[in-house]
Amino acid sequence: MLTHLASPVTVNWGITARCNFVCSHCFSRLDRSPELSGDDARRVVDILAAQGVMFLNYGTGEPLLRGDLFPLTEYAVGKGMKVTMNSNGSLIGPAAADRIREAGFHSVGISIDSADPGTHDGFRRMPGSFEKAVGAARLLRQRGIPLSVSSVVCRVNHRDFPALVSLAKELGAHTIDLHNFKCSGMGGLNKERLDLSPEEWKGFYEAAVPLRRSEKGIDIAFDDPILSLLGEEEQGKLVAGSVCGKLSLYIRPDGEITPCGFIPVTIGHILKDDFGKVWNDSKVLAHLRTKAAAGKCGGCAKFSSCLGGCTARAYAVHGAWDAPDPHCWLGD
Amino acid sequence: MVPKRNPEVVWRLEKGIHEMAWDKARKDEEYEDLGVLTLMVKGSIHQLNLVGAEIWTRINGINSVEKIAAEIGALFGWEAVEAHDAIIEFLKGIAERGWVEFSEKAAPASPKWKGH
Repeated sequence: MLTHLASPVTVNWGITARCNFVCSHCFSRLDRSPELSGDDARRVVDILAAQGVMFLNYGTGEPLLRGDLFPLTEYAVGKGMKVTMNSNGSLIGPAAADRIREAGFHSVGISIDSADPGTHDGFRRMPGSFEKAVGAARLLRQRGIPLSVSSVVCRVNHRDFPALVSLAKELGAHTIDLHNFKCSGMGGLNKERLDLSPEEWKGFYEAAVPLRRSEKGIDIAFDDPILSLLGEEEQGKLVAGSVCGKLSLYIRPDGEITPCGFIPVTIGHILKDDFGKVWNDSKVLAHLRTKAAAGKCGGCAKFSSCLGGCTARAYAVHGAWDAPDPHCWLGD
Repeated sequence: MVPKRNPEVVWRLEKGIHEMAWDKARKDEEYEDLGVLTLMVKGSIHQLNLVGAEIWTRINGINSVEKIAAEIGALFGWEAVEAHDAIIEFLKGIAERGWVEFSEKAAPASPKWKGH
């Protein structure tokens, strides 16, 4: 099947850069860009809905800090979009959980990085945040809102994931997203302390992938193109390599469009440029869709399936789209 | 037998690509490899080609397999038996994936509200 989509399937939208946490790994904590007005935010929804974007995911800062979150979501849901968000859960009490259900959220991701409260609170640099996140997850499930647990795998938790998966199951999550650490934003500043070596990443995946196969009742998602190094293709992924610019795009709080949240390269503006043209004609996106094997990727038998791995990591470390993924353990 | 879509399947026709595939089909050019309809199911993404898309968009809990087969056969110029067998095979495949289920009777097509 030839896969060029008429528009992204998913748009990740930083509706605000504001956050009440200062997490050590956050890609957007250094982002000081102003957020769009309510009217402009609705125009963004109009544009994305007209383009047939199926999923709209709020991320970046804490979405619940945005005052018009619920009317904006109702507006997007009314346009036929499936709206999801990632939240640290700290602002989700019973009333907010009720509004989340009423607004029609398709699913809500709560960030929980460890089943150990001290580890989670330390990583999130917010005492009591574990308790609030778990409490938020329970409130959402009590209201029948589909829940995912979102975790960033790094040095503080890479051996603890079985307990984390068990916690996510106990909370009633349909999916646990074990995101790999990205060295963007604060993550770039704390790379030495938080990132794993390529061999450690290999060890993590060799342990975690069998759990994904054996675990029942919850989907364990990695969304990491270097999984193909283990012969583990993401089922139903449709594209090789990173999905950024192939299935998804990112919109910053100020409306600038980038291939993904971890790639700070602007390719247009959602309100100033023709979104369809950006998607179809951007030279940056064209490059990401047709990466060339560079460095140790040259001649590597895995390149056709991993396409050099995560482009965001490669760009952050090497400043080049085609550079090998720094997490890759082959050929070192 | 009446197929009905799983409401958890999120899908869209690919604007421009659908039209391009039909243009190719009319010119007797190859169109089978074009992804015309995109589906998202539990985090997995899939695409259907033109024939699959035309079948999928006729699945509504009301149209029977026979009706869909007749329409698809007429669209693509297939013999009735050929069309029926192809549609059955396709529907079985997507039913195994949980994208559709079958019922013996069609859902009521009439309005459920009552006038006063």
